[in-house]
Amino acid sequence: MKKIVVEGLKYKYPMTEELALKDISFEVEEGEFIGIIGKNSSGKSTLCQALVGLVPHFYKGAYGGKVLVDGLEVRSHTIADISLKVGMVFQNPFTQVTGSKMTVYEEIAFGLENIGLPREEMRQRIDEVLKLMKIEHVKDHSPFDLSGGQMQRMAIASIIAMKPDILVLDEPTSQLDPAGSEEVFHSIQDLSRQGITVVMAEQKIEKIAQYCSRVLLLYDGKLVDFDTPEKIFSRDDLKDYGVTAPVYTRVCKALGVKKQRCDVYPVTLEDAELALRGTIK
Amino acid sequence: MIKVSNLSFSYSEKAQSVLADINLEFDHRTTAIIGQNGAGKTTFVKLLKGLLRASQGEILIGDYDVKMKTAAELARKIGLVFQNPNDQIFKRTVLDEAMFGLLNIKMGKYTAEKLAVSALETVGLGDKLEMNPHDLSLSEKKLLCIASVVAMETDVVIFDEPTIAQDDAGKEIIRKIIQELKKKNKLVMTIIHDMDFVAENFERTIVINKGKVLLDGSTREVFSQKEVLNEANVEPPGITQLAEKLGLKKTILTVEEFLQECAK
Amino acid sequence: MTFLKSISLFVDRKSFVHDIDPITKLYYILFAIIIPIILPSFTISAICVGISILLLLAAKVMRKTLPVYSFVFLVLITVVIIQGLFRPGNETVLFHLGPFAMHKEGLLFALTIALRVTNIVSAFMILVLTTKPSTLVESLVRKGMSPRIGYVIVSVFQIIQEMMSTMSTIMDAQRSRGMETEGKLLTRIKAFIPLLGPVVLGSLINTKERAMALEVRGFNSRNLKTYLYEEKTFPYSKAIQAALLVLTIFAVAWRVFL
Repeated sequence: MKKIVVEGLKYKYPMTEELALKDISFEVEEGEFIGIIGKNSSGKSTLCQALVGLVPHFYKGAYGGKVLVDGLEVRSHTIADISLKVGMVFQNPFTQVTGSKMTVYEEIAFGLENIGLPREEMRQRIDEVLKLMKIEHVKDHSPFDLSGGQMQRMAIASIIAMKPDILVLDEPTSQLDPAGSEEVFHSIQDLSRQGITVVMAEQKIEKIAQYCSRVLLLYDGKLVDFDTPEKIFSRDDLKDYGVTAPVYTRVCKALGVKKQRCDVYPVTLEDAELALRGTIK
Repeated sequence: MIKVSNLSFSYSEKAQSVLADINLEFDHRTTAIIGQNGAGKTTFVKLLKGLLRASQGEILIGDYDVKMKTAAELARKIGLVFQNPNDQIFKRTVLDEAMFGLLNIKMGKYTAEKLAVSALETVGLGDKLEMNPHDLSLSEKKLLCIASVVAMETDVVIFDEPTIAQDDAGKEIIRKIIQELKKKNKLVMTIIHDMDFVAENFERTIVINKGKVLLDGSTREVFSQKEVLNEANVEPPGITQLAEKLGLKKTILTVEEFLQECAK
Repeated sequence: MTFLKSISLFVDRKSFVHDIDPITKLYYILFAIIIPIILPSFTISAICVGISILLLLAAKVMRKTLPVYSFVFLVLITVVIIQGLFRPGNETVLFHLGPFAMHKEGLLFALTIALRVTNIVSAFMILVLTTKPSTLVESLVRKGMSPRIGYVIVSVFQIIQEMMSTMSTIMDAQRSRGMETEGKLLTRIKAFIPLLGPVVLGSLINTKERAMALEVRGFNSRNLKTYLYEEKTFPYSKAIQAALLVLTIFAVAWRVFL
């Protein structure tokens, strides 16, 4: 089933000259884990925000084309309606704290109170996401007293407690250390395996290569390519789009070693090891 | 250039110490400081910069004792680029922002402007001098902060997570700045989580774990000690891991080295 | 982030005063203000203050009231002195303060004022010291106040705290670039003022991002809102509220008929 359908999406922020998104079309199936890559200001955040309705409802501006999330047309529904289907996690965990709740537990409840969930179910869901994001031990702390990693996981927990079918994340690990971002990627992969559709903009190419089922490459507001990580990172013209392939791919490419029985280069440590094992003693 | 002896720090007498008994000497090698969030890295550079006062121990920068100077006085010797550019930016134009530190250290307006403009050109902001810094993108703001500290030509320059939010182009600019500073014989120090960037750009790496120095040595030496790194929850760069898995003897730090090793 | 706790004066204790719901406490404040207006006698005001102080004692928060009372008394003492010395209509001299005479009329008037102010302050402290701000706002939202206004009120506490911690980071960043922030008071003030710009601007940027984060968490949802916690109820709320009402009516009757 198609969870996300984007057709000829064009968008221009108010007070700007150039289009931020130029005629973008793609489709995402249920349960996929999509990575969005591209250099800065290529439109990654704008595209993420177009999936939850912040574009155009929050910013206004000129909008063309169509975005359907789970059958709902974004343009003709309010952000509150869309938020029941699509959740979004932003880059800065600090500004996602509501500032009106005293504990992590209450903070996660915020969205659930807004959508009018019965108390029993609220508690059940909060307990569940606390466990899933491994922040049970801080549930009674003040949200502002958490470390960056814990705060980011709380932000994700607050969103997935609302049980969206689709989860959009905009560079959710940029403030985290390697161990912290690995944990976040792991948790998100778990969600994706449970059938949630995930779309994530990210600079960490190696992680994208490891976890995503397909990768969407943006350049200058245009969709350049949308394919498996192997296909995308095997492209010869990546440099023109300001993107560098994972080190594993670069090594294999330089040595001319392709993934076993495929016409693409390996993109992960494991695949590179398998492919190179034969050629290097 | 910097000598740290028996340095300890805690936020209050009762609190657990954030740093304990640190002894380090810094020479002209570019140095990366790595370790998990909360390991004490930022506290350490704040102590060097005189923004915090050590509970115990001594820091000498050149012939300055950090304890005897205010942070403002130290500004001539040592520059620090903060992690979050929004904490640093506060002037109305990009040029004013870059000139701010220079004017503070009593430089003439003409020279200050010349130095600021040239620093802004190196980070690619030469055509945005009159813009309001808050209209820049996050990565540009970061580059502006870097430029405004680098322009002060201090002997020591410290970066806190410079590569966050940078794409390849941004990282390339930072790489060039580090090389440039090194050529001028400055000590460059960086707190950083991006191990690939560490492997490609830094001569020396210090691993801080739970307030102590866990490893200290040439970057190659440090990344060869997988088990010890594990203890600090740090993974060697991807290329190093690949080389090790494939049984290469030498610790590999870059793609180029890897290819050279294979060509043998 | 300990100063959050100091911005809100709430003291977390177990007592029956804490158990009373915020709305009833609001009624009590209203009562404490109205009664001395209806019955402007010295004794009635004194009784009201007495009741409030007993409640504060019962709530075990008396220590927290001391700074507030000290501040209020400091202000009131000047009122007492000025009124005692210079109030028009002063006749009966009680005693002399140097070259000035202290009068009975002014002193009595000032004492009445002092008592009323103490009365209102005490009643407010019962509410403020024994109720979490968020609980109070939540009760009001349940009673029909707009959740948006409620959010603004509660978040102000935390946002101020956020601004203060940003402030110290920004200060550090400028010290790092050679701005002198230590030493003489004038230097410190000079250093402080330009910092306000980035603090405010920074929090505006944060506000925009926060607004987006709130939106995607259904802040403007038209669904009927639910609450994580059950409404705080006190078995005798209705009784207390009724008693307060009866007393007020009684006071009015007293005033009119006697």
